[in-house]
Amino acid sequence: MKKQLLPIIAFALVSVASGTGLALSQSSAVAAESPTTNQFDPMQFARGAKAWANNCTRCHNMRDPKELRDDQWRAAMMHMRVRAGLTAAETEDILIFLQGSN
Amino acid sequence: MKTAPQSKLSSTLCLLILVSASPVFAQSHADRIDELEAKTLAMAEELAVLRAELEKERQAPDSEDMQSIRAESVAARQAAQNAEIAANEWKNSNSVTHLAGYASADYVSPENGNAAFVANFNPMFHFQFKDRILWEAEIEVQIEENGDTNMALEYSSIDLFLNNNMVLLAGKFLSPIGNFRQNMHPSWINKLPSAPPGFGHDGAAPLAEVGVQLRGGIRVGEQSKMTYAGFIGNGPKLEGEDGEIHGIDTDGFTGDPDDEKVFGGRVSLLPFPKFEFAVSGAFGDAAVVENDGVDFEGDPTRDYKVFGVDASYQWNNLDLRSEFIRQDIADEQTSIAPEGGIWETWYVQGAYKFADAKWEGVARYTDYTSPHADKSQEQWALGVNYLLAPSAMLKFAYESNTGLVGESTDDDRWLVQIAYGY
Ligand code: HEC
Repeated sequence: MKKQLLPIIAFALVSVASGTGLALSQSSAVAAESPTTNQFDPMQFARGAKAWANNCTRCHNMRDPKELRDDQWRAAMMHMRVRAGLTAAETEDILIFLQGSN
Repeated sequence: MKTAPQSKLSSTLCLLILVSASPVFAQSHADRIDELEAKTLAMAEELAVLRAELEKERQAPDSEDMQSIRAESVAARQAAQNAEIAANEWKNSNSVTHLAGYASADYVSPENGNAAFVANFNPMFHFQFKDRILWEAEIEVQIEENGDTNMALEYSSIDLFLNNNMVLLAGKFLSPIGNFRQNMHPSWINKLPSAPPGFGHDGAAPLAEVGVQLRGGIRVGEQSKMTYAGFIGNGPKLEGEDGEIHGIDTDGFTGDPDDEKVFGGRVSLLPFPKFEFAVSGAFGDAAVVENDGVDFEGDPTRDYKVFGVDASYQWNNLDLRSEFIRQDIADEQTSIAPEGGIWETWYVQGAYKFADAKWEGVARYTDYTSPHADKSQEQWALGVNYLLAPSAMLKFAYESNTGLVGESTDDDRWLVQIAYGY
């Protein structure tokens, strides 16, 4: 009995968390839907440069912004968001920085 | 008196001239005005005619030439607009596909045994929808000693981005326990050509898991942050051999013979950028499902525990990291392999870039203890790397290994590797 319950409770917790998460993320997701078409914001670029310098040498050598195209950086940054435990806001800032520096 | 008749004469002459000249002057002045008036009138008439013609022109349908010129210019404007939209399509599309991965070619020369070349490659795929979903997958392709190609799905997970701080992963993912397995093992990242002992198959560190995982990061103030990962998965399988547990297989399975899920996670703190300290662990059950190389059913389940600590620090060209991981299988008297055991490893590594960050020196010490003496190994590894690009390097290394005498774990080795991550 206990055996079967544990995963179910855990799954329930995860689904509740993801439920609120999805609702919460709705607005921010819309705002950030296509970062490339956003108006250039120098403050965001500066925040991105700082977050890039602070986060992107923790696991591997710093990758050159010129290595990838704007769209490729979108996918690579989503991947790194998962790997490096970046927040969505940090990810968007760094993406703006990379897309403005390649 | 003499002047009187003279002045009379001159004044008379002047008068005569004036009288005779004035009508002539008056006459020509009037003529000119008339002339001007006539000209002005003529011009006004001409202007009216022109205006009328212009108006007629304006109202008249375009000539064929004019029409085609107009149409061409509209078409050209439209084409330019379309071209601009098309040129930006790749930037603004809802989904993105991205091929990444890494490859390496090695030359390994052990103290006792034959030196050989080795090759493998790991393609990686990313499919992203808006900033809501990412599917990430990696295939590991290796050529075996006998020439066979060995292929494995290293991971394949669908990641849902829930909010600023949460990502939900489902599928097969790299074990979030410790740091080496999830973040350091790709050849272009690992600063030495080999993994530290205990971080490979049947070692001390779990490799992968099939299940669900919730992970993310939270900013704490200006400088600090924390990251977390929690998962539920099917857990490992045990392999029995000669009445003993030969190893813990943690490749990640879609079956769960012990019918008990494994729960685990990792929490890391970054009090300031580039310094990370993390604790990780997992618990659940495991059972022997393979004995002496053949499938085995009905063995009782037993406790399975993992504990790990890892830390890393970067400062300028210096990169320091260390990690401890331990997997623990409980004794189970009724099992075909009653004795449990502890698989434990730890390493410390320092690397320093020099000569314009083109070269890098690396030193790593590892001590791996397995319940089987022939697997335990203590190792010093020293290496020099030449960086061709941030993700491409040539590595030269020497391993000084101490294991059970006569076993390959006791052989020192020279290793050369070229690695490229793309
Ligand atoms: C927590 C460790 C970690 C951090 C921090 C990190 N990366 Fe990575 N990165 C990885 C790993 C691991 C891979 C290889 C993934 C694989 O092979 O599965 C990788 C791969 C990449 C790649 C290759 C393409 C890809 O998506 O795999 C790029 C580009 C990259 N990282 C850029 C960055 C940038 C930019 C940052 C800063 C935001 C960053 N990384 C921070 C671990 C990290």
